[in-house]
Amino acid sequence: MSDLTTLSMTEAADAFARGEVAAEALVRASLARIAAQDGKVNAVVRLDREAALEAAAVQDKARAVGTVPGPLAGAPMMHKDMYYRAGKVSTCGSAIRKEFTPKATATVLQRLDAAGAIDMGTLNMAEFAQNPTGHNAHHGDCHNPWNLDYCTGGSSSGSGAGVAARFFTAALGSDTGGSIRLPATLCGVTGLKATQTRVSRAGVMPLSFSADNVGPLVRTARDAARFLGVIAGRDPKDPTSAPEPVPDYEAALTGDVQGMRIAVCESYFLDGADAPVVTAFEAALATLKSAGAEVTRVKAPSLRAVAAYTALVSRVEGAAIHAHWMREQPGDYATHLSARLFGGYAVPAHLYVEELARRGPLLREFVAETLTGFDLVATPTLRTRVPTLAETDIDADPANWSRFMAVSANTRPFNYLGLPTISVPCGFDDRGLPVGLQLAGRPFAESTVLRAADAYQQVTDWHRRAPAL
Amino acid sequence: MPTEPDLVVPTLEAISRWSGVSLPNEAARLGLADYVALLAELEALRGTVVFEDEPSSFEAALRDCMEPAQKGAAQ
Repeated sequence: MSDLTTLSMTEAADAFARGEVAAEALVRASLARIAAQDGKVNAVVRLDREAALEAAAVQDKARAVGTVPGPLAGAPMMHKDMYYRAGKVSTCGSAIRKEFTPKATATVLQRLDAAGAIDMGTLNMAEFAQNPTGHNAHHGDCHNPWNLDYCTGGSSSGSGAGVAARFFTAALGSDTGGSIRLPATLCGVTGLKATQTRVSRAGVMPLSFSADNVGPLVRTARDAARFLGVIAGRDPKDPTSAPEPVPDYEAALTGDVQGMRIAVCESYFLDGADAPVVTAFEAALATLKSAGAEVTRVKAPSLRAVAAYTALVSRVEGAAIHAHWMREQPGDYATHLSARLFGGYAVPAHLYVEELARRGPLLREFVAETLTGFDLVATPTLRTRVPTLAETDIDADPANWSRFMAVSANTRPFNYLGLPTISVPCGFDDRGLPVGLQLAGRPFAESTVLRAADAYQQVTDWHRRAPAL
Repeated sequence: MPTEPDLVVPTLEAISRWSGVSLPNEAARLGLADYVALLAELEALRGTVVFEDEPSSFEAALRDCMEPAQKGAAQ
């Protein structure tokens, strides 16, 4: 194989399992690409070079005697710098936690380790995972590999940019309002937010107890299926994690969407959308129809309430988590973050309670409107073209506030509703930046979401395209 | 320069009193001003929200809204 960094996560793991490539070769290819290109992208926070090579050597020895140490063995990965590993600093993208060294390892990292994934270090992210653009005043902004002047999306900025730049095969992101799906769409990769409670959050920096999700940024829906199968499932360390059995997500990837029913909401998700985004979205729907899916426009009046409540939950919970630091050391936050957190203290408690109390009933209403008689809801992941770093930089100009906040308009509702949602690349805008297709299903219907995304990727090649850095 | 909405100054005072957090910067002030649109949305929702007698559970709703086949398998 000429360039190992072109392999997706499942391709790399399968090639390793077949004995076609050594884990050390995969890791060295990743390290070389990072060394050559990350000076431009700024995706990496900490590179554990020697530990990664040692892990690869152990796997190669095991493989030499006929043992494949798990379904992700050989696949180089790096993760958002908010997944705790005992004894390793986890900055959470901040100055406040620049020396924070956890004593325990996150459950998801333990599960990835057990599956043979090779952890090469940590990635840039929005400070405390609190912005949708990828700006970071402490580690420096992460840059979109398709055009370095543009946003990566956040908050999992390094995860999206690094997978897009072929630095590694997969990365953990986290998603409270779109923080997996936004960097996935802005960087042209695949990102999956599972059903709320599907994946353990033990050992993961909290942003919003009600809306935080853990999930992968990868190149393909197949990668996402295998990755989710490893990390999903009940965890005694996270009492909020769901006990539902974890199906074989990869086995559900039939490549077939014949008869699948897809709803498109007539209002909200396309309100004010940029023309190149609409064009790419409609073309994606046409592709799915050509593959046998039925596409129907539906009304979803519950979205108005969903959108209003969605704007409250993470602000209030984030404000509570950060109250001590906001009193004692507000100057250690970036301007945009302390500004955003500050707004959370203005929300009356009864509204927060109302928002939580209405979450179940509104989920039932939304499902009745859009997913009764349908398998999926489709939307553009981002309504607008990818913004530049400059035009969404609140630290430089507070007048950019509205543009900054609008980035997550199409992703946040699915956090409030808790539905499994994937973003896959579906084209490029007129400036050459990626556009994303978002597909959401019923609770715990990750298999359906992944099957549609995989089928779409069987007949398109947007996810195969790589930026020319 | 747009006029600052009336809600900003009293909100600053309320946050300081209730939370002990001071205005960190000018962007935070603009962020509060941005709440005007959200307040309008919340005002529009008034009267549509009715609390149920029994506690509503989001986790129960997640399970109730599963795909029918999956729901049957889980029971």
